[in-house]
Amino acid sequence: MTGKLTFRDFSIAAVLLVACALFAILSPQFLGARNLSLLMIELGITATLALGMLLVILPGHIDLSVGSGVGLLGGVASILIFHHDWPAPLALALAAVAGLLLWRGMGWLIVHERIPAFIITLAGLLIFKGLFWLVIQNATVPIVHAGQTSLYTLLTTYYLPAPLGLAGAAVIVALLGWLKLRERARRVACAFPVEPAAQAFLHWFIAAQLLFLFVIVTNQFRGVPLAAVILGVVATIVHIITKHTPFGRHLYAIGGNEEAAVVSGIPVRATVVGAYTLLGGIVALAGFMQTAYSGASTTTVGELMELDAIAACVIGGVSLKGGRGSVLGVLFGALLMAVLLNGMTLLAVSPEFKYIVRGLVLSLAVWMDVKLSR
Amino acid sequence: MSAPFLEARSIVKKFPGVVALKDVTFDLRPGEVHALCGENGAGKSTLIKLLSGLHVHGSYEGELRVNGTEARFASLQDAARAGIAVIYQELALVDEMSVAENIFLGSEPRTRAGLIDWPRVHTETRKLLDRFALDIPPDALVRDLGVGRKQLVEIVKALSKDSKVLILDEPTAALAEHEVAVLLDIIRDLRRRGIACIYISHKLDEVFAVADRITILRDGATITTLAAAATDKNQVIRHMVGREIADLFPRRSSTPGKPVLEVQNLRVTHPVTGHTALHDLSFTLRAGEVLGIGGLMGAGRTELLMHLFGCWGKRTAGQVKLLDRALPPDNPGHTLRAGLALVSEDRRRYGLVLEQPIAFNLSLSSLRRLTRAGLLDPMREFERNQHFFASLRVKSPSLEYPVGKLSGGNQQKVVIGKALMTEPSVVFLDEPTRGIDVGAKLEIYETINRLTAEGKAVVLVSSELPELMGMSDRILMLCAGRLGGEFTRAEATPPLLMAAAMGQTLSAA
Repeated sequence: MTGKLTFRDFSIAAVLLVACALFAILSPQFLGARNLSLLMIELGITATLALGMLLVILPGHIDLSVGSGVGLLGGVASILIFHHDWPAPLALALAAVAGLLLWRGMGWLIVHERIPAFIITLAGLLIFKGLFWLVIQNATVPIVHAGQTSLYTLLTTYYLPAPLGLAGAAVIVALLGWLKLRERARRVACAFPVEPAAQAFLHWFIAAQLLFLFVIVTNQFRGVPLAAVILGVVATIVHIITKHTPFGRHLYAIGGNEEAAVVSGIPVRATVVGAYTLLGGIVALAGFMQTAYSGASTTTVGELMELDAIAACVIGGVSLKGGRGSVLGVLFGALLMAVLLNGMTLLAVSPEFKYIVRGLVLSLAVWMDVKLSR
Repeated sequence: MSAPFLEARSIVKKFPGVVALKDVTFDLRPGEVHALCGENGAGKSTLIKLLSGLHVHGSYEGELRVNGTEARFASLQDAARAGIAVIYQELALVDEMSVAENIFLGSEPRTRAGLIDWPRVHTETRKLLDRFALDIPPDALVRDLGVGRKQLVEIVKALSKDSKVLILDEPTAALAEHEVAVLLDIIRDLRRRGIACIYISHKLDEVFAVADRITILRDGATITTLAAAATDKNQVIRHMVGREIADLFPRRSSTPGKPVLEVQNLRVTHPVTGHTALHDLSFTLRAGEVLGIGGLMGAGRTELLMHLFGCWGKRTAGQVKLLDRALPPDNPGHTLRAGLALVSEDRRRYGLVLEQPIAFNLSLSSLRRLTRAGLLDPMREFERNQHFFASLRVKSPSLEYPVGKLSGGNQQKVVIGKALMTEPSVVFLDEPTRGIDVGAKLEIYETINRLTAEGKAVVLVSSELPELMGMSDRILMLCAGRLGGEFTRAEATPPLLMAAAMGQTLSAA
């Protein structure tokens, strides 16, 4: 339960640094405030979805339908707003409820009817895609009437005012420090080994530096993007769920040894259905952000996002067999995927090669994982 | 008296920490049926694995001889080439293939073009089946055959390779009576053709119906080899159990209190086959009591515990009451909260999440009671973990050590700790000391004494008669899913218990 860093974590960090350095050299704009802000929005979407995926991979399942779900749920909200003049908050709420129910249903089929998650969610991929296109009638549906703003558009266009961003960063840094101190005191009380004080301080200090650097850089453009704040909130919630609740422990136990989980009295079915339900909510959230980022619902929104989400998990050290993985790892994995896509777009790499490179990086990451975890 | 075809001389086989065979001598003459008898763990399976090449030459001491010369099997194939075929308890047939495909799997006759010669596969299969007068179509899917006929297909498959020795390991465990009769006929027929059989069975009726000689193993050593005609069941049973019970069992009896678990006329069907696995079982467990449950492999001991706990089989009749309240048959979470905890015999499969630390595993069943405002309370969790870590004396550097790296005995203590943390009134211990060292065993016995002294009730399932007799206040012996006998601590003697486990009644000793 300790957050020990291994050689593996460093190797992912190294790949990330190399990729960033390469893009920075080839394209000076890469490290610019504007691009980093956009990168953060893209990361916010990819990583949010990947964190949802983590919840179902931990107990040893999978979800291939999230990409179609992103398109569908974003599309449902767009239609309600643009064609039926619903207020944005109501439309988003309804689409989110639809997400929760759809994913709850898939989870139910997986555990009660014992249909493998791979099959159910593959069917979901096809069905949701078809429903999506039906809903938007194969057209482009804007997310607001021309010239307006709403909660929906603000998801990816709102930036925190500069002072608020800095104040927020200060609060988070203070909170992190306090939590770290409290955790340390606890471990001492339990006579568990603790890292040297200097090392602990350094970890906190580097995290604080990075956070402030991020805020200062994005402030040079328009400020901290709301999407990044949303990601921060989702990541915190998923972290608390996985590490500090019985539900989260049960997810790890089911993925680690399902038979032992049953005999330990864990409500395996209810837990897995719960994980899928949570994922449904996250798919809706990512769907709103992705659709808002595209500016409108079009047939391609969300396409192949399930693969990015799964790749982010795998690169982040999540075991597809279940039982192993953490929020921090997934954030790293998602960052690598987002950096690759963003950098290659800046360099105007053709779509063909974007796919090939992302595939290669995924294979490389998993290969390293297999090699290093022996 | 012909020279032996197969001989094992002074075999010693050691596993890390365990001596499985310490002195086994055995010989098999051409065309004889030779039965191997012994308790669970006497060394029968290990001997078979040696004879079949699974434990390769060099991994044991002593000598194997085939036809008078030393055999050094480096693989299963070597043994097969020497003419030794094994029919295992778990059948090794591919369900989705036909009988003919299965029989020739891996040795398919080829046409000149290198393709499988299907007409020959079918005609050869037909011939083989006819030889044993078996009414099985060669193109039937194995999946559609009953267990008994699958067994026969397996035997035909073994004989298709010109085997001289057939080893049958509990071949009738899953067979109905008429199928057993067919099988025994076939074995007698093989004997006439000069094919020798090693026949392993707990069912003495079958052994005496078919065997020429009987060898008895106990604690990894050959006790004696007897001509079947010159002995009887009583003598065989006494040889199987004849050992002194060491003063290893520190059971301190406590006076039983009021009933905590009542089982009435329980009947349960197997979840896969749908056959009745447990027949009309009734018993009562009292507070402060250790109820031992014994029986041979397949008697239904583990199934009984798993069913009562709520994770095995379908209840077709009967009632179970825990602390005067009906216990639902299929909800382990509810069972645990109601006060019944299970320590499974297979701790790696049903007990532990091996890659996780000790702490994770200890508290796994009790997490809901360790929360504050929905979040886990780390200090309370640590306190409870530390309590059981210390009181069970788990030997490990820390609570954060991965449980998969502990020794068997310490892993077992973690599983027991997990069960005890739920504060149960009744604890089921299924083979709690299997595969662990003597020191850890004693500590587990002490834990059992402490539990009963606290007024908790324990059900102890064990394959080891001395442990069962040493630690139980009362003993139930199961036999093929039925109650074979009930004994108080004072009444129980090894031959009595063994006879009850085999469905026999022992004539006066």
